[in-house]
Amino acid sequence: MSNNNGNNNGNNGNNEKMVTITIDDKQFMVPEGKRLLWAALENGVYIPHLCALEEEEKPSAGCRLCFVEIEGFLNPVTSCTQPVKEGMIVRTRSKRIDRMVKNGFELLLSNHRLNCGKCAANGSCELQKIARERGLKLRVSRMRKLENDAPIDDSPENFSYDPAKCVLCGRCVWVDHNMAKVGAIGMVRRGMSRRVATFGETALAESNCTQCGECVRACPVGALAVKE
Amino acid sequence: MSTDVTVMESKYQELKKRASEKAAVLQEKPYVMVGTATCGRAAGALKILDVFKEEVQKHQVEAEVMEVGCLGHCYAEPMVIVYKPGFPALCYGNVDEGIASRLVSDFLVGDDPCFEFAMAALEPNDFFPTFADYPRGVYEQKIVLEACGLIDPEEIDHYIARDGYSALVRALAAEPGAVVDEIKDSRLRGRGGAGFPTGKKWEICRNADAGEKYVICNADEGDPGAFMDRALLESNPHQLIEGLIIAAYAVGASQGYIYVRAEYPLAIDRLRTALQQARDNGLLGDNILGSGFSFDIRIFQGSGAFVCGEETALIASIEGKPGIPSHRPPFPAVSGLRGKPTLIDNVKTLSYVPHIMRNGAEWFKGIGTPESPGTAVFALAGKVVGTGLVEVPMGTSLRTLIYDVGNGIKDDKGFKAVQIGGPSGGCLPESALDLTIDFDSLQHAGAMMGSGGLVVLDEDDCMVEIARFFLEFTQNESCGKCTFCRLGTKQMLEILTDITKGQGKPEDLELLWELAEDIKAGSLCGLGKTAPNPVLSTLRFFRDEYEVHIHEGRCPARKCKDLISYRIVPQKCSKLCDACIASCPVEAVFTRPDMLKEIDLEKCVKCDNCLVTCLPLYDAVEKVSPPITVAVEGGSASE
Amino acid sequence: MELMEGELEQIQSVVAEVLKKFDSDSEQLLPILQAVQGRLGYLPREAMKMVAAAVEIPEVDVYSVGTFYNQFRLNPPGKNQIKVCMGTACHMTGGNIIMDSFERRLEIEEGETTKDREFSLERVACVGCCALAPVVLVNDEVEAKVRPTRVDGILLGLGKELNRKKTEVGTEDKAQDPAEPKDIPAQEEGDAR
Repeated sequence: MSNNNGNNNGNNGNNEKMVTITIDDKQFMVPEGKRLLWAALENGVYIPHLCALEEEEKPSAGCRLCFVEIEGFLNPVTSCTQPVKEGMIVRTRSKRIDRMVKNGFELLLSNHRLNCGKCAANGSCELQKIARERGLKLRVSRMRKLENDAPIDDSPENFSYDPAKCVLCGRCVWVDHNMAKVGAIGMVRRGMSRRVATFGETALAESNCTQCGECVRACPVGALAVKE
Repeated sequence: MSTDVTVMESKYQELKKRASEKAAVLQEKPYVMVGTATCGRAAGALKILDVFKEEVQKHQVEAEVMEVGCLGHCYAEPMVIVYKPGFPALCYGNVDEGIASRLVSDFLVGDDPCFEFAMAALEPNDFFPTFADYPRGVYEQKIVLEACGLIDPEEIDHYIARDGYSALVRALAAEPGAVVDEIKDSRLRGRGGAGFPTGKKWEICRNADAGEKYVICNADEGDPGAFMDRALLESNPHQLIEGLIIAAYAVGASQGYIYVRAEYPLAIDRLRTALQQARDNGLLGDNILGSGFSFDIRIFQGSGAFVCGEETALIASIEGKPGIPSHRPPFPAVSGLRGKPTLIDNVKTLSYVPHIMRNGAEWFKGIGTPESPGTAVFALAGKVVGTGLVEVPMGTSLRTLIYDVGNGIKDDKGFKAVQIGGPSGGCLPESALDLTIDFDSLQHAGAMMGSGGLVVLDEDDCMVEIARFFLEFTQNESCGKCTFCRLGTKQMLEILTDITKGQGKPEDLELLWELAEDIKAGSLCGLGKTAPNPVLSTLRFFRDEYEVHIHEGRCPARKCKDLISYRIVPQKCSKLCDACIASCPVEAVFTRPDMLKEIDLEKCVKCDNCLVTCLPLYDAVEKVSPPITVAVEGGSASE
Repeated sequence: MELMEGELEQIQSVVAEVLKKFDSDSEQLLPILQAVQGRLGYLPREAMKMVAAAVEIPEVDVYSVGTFYNQFRLNPPGKNQIKVCMGTACHMTGGNIIMDSFERRLEIEEGETTKDREFSLERVACVGCCALAPVVLVNDEVEAKVRPTRVDGILLGLGKELNRKKTEVGTEDKAQDPAEPKDIPAQEEGDAR
């Protein structure tokens, strides 16, 4: 992909140039062109995120939670897509950002089966982390609850898949296609019907899934979870 | 390339000569042109075409019967043009089989042009007014629609006879950079909706350093109320093809695509024929007109996804993937199809190109407004008399557009609002009628040029329900990738649906507004970013209607099904007529012992049939809001 | 969905024929699927598997495409296809009421096919004859200015037997309705504006 003029993900080997950026009034030295989200996370600055994978060359930018304000930009910017430049001045918190994250987060919860107490991801869930970091409630307060009654797929030996907990980040599909190179799951349908599924939407055990478990490790929530 | 210029010129002159001769021959005999674009066909144009063919044969008249595209007067379909030497070419609307056979027997055989059926003449004459003599003709200025409905789209010579492809010759004789400059200079802006400067886009793509580049015509028209791209494809495909070839030459592309919705089979057919004719005449393919420039065009059929109007989704779709947008930058002009620089322009945008190349940037800038030169094409629909496609200079006021060009509101009802730009546009109230239309003024007012859908709403239309309709459309068409669009529009739709059912809560309006703003700012692509516009604009201008729904459980326009009841006014019911009973699909209307009719509210499905059916003489059926609660025995809640 | 006898072989031979006409390139996926559906009326499971193997992508990726676009259907269409226009103008003149009427009569929801595979009901975006709204496409023929009462007429014309039982209200009065609603003044009135 050397001829790609688009976003490059920044990890260009050893001879990378370092630039200075400012995040929330603190200065950091980071490799030029590295995507802002990873530059921030590596330096201990948390920015909410669900769909981002550092290895992914073209960020999907689907979860819309990693917004930041950058000086010189009129509108909030997704940090997962933004390469860093010398002198960039970034704010991870502002009234506008906080509201967008809060509403984006509640939107996700409105469509998420919320039973943290019984969830295998309890404690390691990225949604819980976002709630903790940003002081958000883990419940739907203002919005309508959009019930998702898709049944749980218990067919694999060591893990299970609960579509009602899925946040559609797409990380499992990416690792399935690009790391495990199996091609068992994909994003099917569209809009509110969009979901992670196998060919023909069969149970995982009836598909070509090898049950390697890569997708389970990639899941930021409890949708794909190891069986107790 | 100067040596090639004379070669090109002479090759073109040959084509032109042939076409002009054909055109002259055409004028020597009578001919009939039947508008058989999709809209005409819907109104029965193919039947009319058959009648003309049969009648011409029956009466042994030597007349050519041709198919042409769309003249834009949807309210008058099917439309035909009949020409007979010695008479001006005359246009007839709402032609039925009887009129068709009379036009042959009385006009072509006899000498009576049947003025009683005629709409207008095509050129000034002593007998009959022309289109230009009507208000619509006064305010319309046709550029891209000019030849539509007047030429056979499957006959390249009809296009060439009108100087078609001469702009291509001009372009090929110039340096590509000069062509880009001409378009830049014309200040043409993209007609796909957002109005990005076309020349600038061409320049970026031209400057992108790559061996291979692509140009794509975006004909994935998906707005639920706009069909001008289809009309252009079905009526004048060569205009677009010429524009696309010029674009390819300007940016240095060797392969082009026209991305058309598969739902437009006739457009695809006519386009395919046109492409083949262009190739057969040396205007497309290897070494175009001997210029040394080679370029070809493929048709790609979109599979029905509104989001594919978004450039990155359209590209994904051509690459064989689901039409899911990706983050920009990189912009397609830098890295698009197969990672190569790709220019994507809308059908209308490209259709302007030959005109600009032929007449010059100065000419184009002389039309419209300084910031938005040229014309705007609108699909007038809704409660306006003259529905159809219209083309007016930018800067025309909404009032002129609706009352002069569109001939006013149907049934003398009161104007309430105008929705411009379809699902990404907004609703403007009466106070905005004097707004002059261009890209910026509309955006500023809270609407958008969008795809050019323009729906007139009258006092019987509910603004909440209209907002809900458009939001339901975008919600259905959301690809589902990003949180704000997928879940945000769904959340908004739920709220709006609740409001139309009388289940809205006072705090919903705040939440709606907040969600709308966040979806606008937070969505990944243009579909999501513009989806809240219909809600934002109605909330801004018609907030009181929302409030009445929420606080009083009432729909002021008596449109929202859950908030109305039908009743028969006893004082008005004739007793003797059974029309309402026969009209009811669920047998909810019944005759009382005293012969008055009444509606069983529990059975009533609120289909509106009895109301429409009841003779105007009685006008006994009415809608009431809030709905009548069925408590009284027998559903009699009338008095 | 269960395939009938001989259907599998027919699908396989049709898909094989279609595949011969295209490069085995994943970029050809949409045109290939369009061609398959053009021949078979829908995308059977087996066909998607064959296409996936031919263009060398995971089966689920073909399925993603097949379920993303409105055009593709995974089940065979009905013998008669009824498409109700849901464009803006049709909506404003009661397109949804027409849709309701068809749903009520055919006892299916939009996007479904009747059990006997006789009828399928779909919504379509603007057909572009807004002046004739509301519009229904019956086997691609346009029915203009459709009123709910016309729905029965359309279905009768297609050979549907309408046993007028009122499923939606549950009242079983009058086993047989004497006559279909006559053509009432509504039509003329509407046309005369």
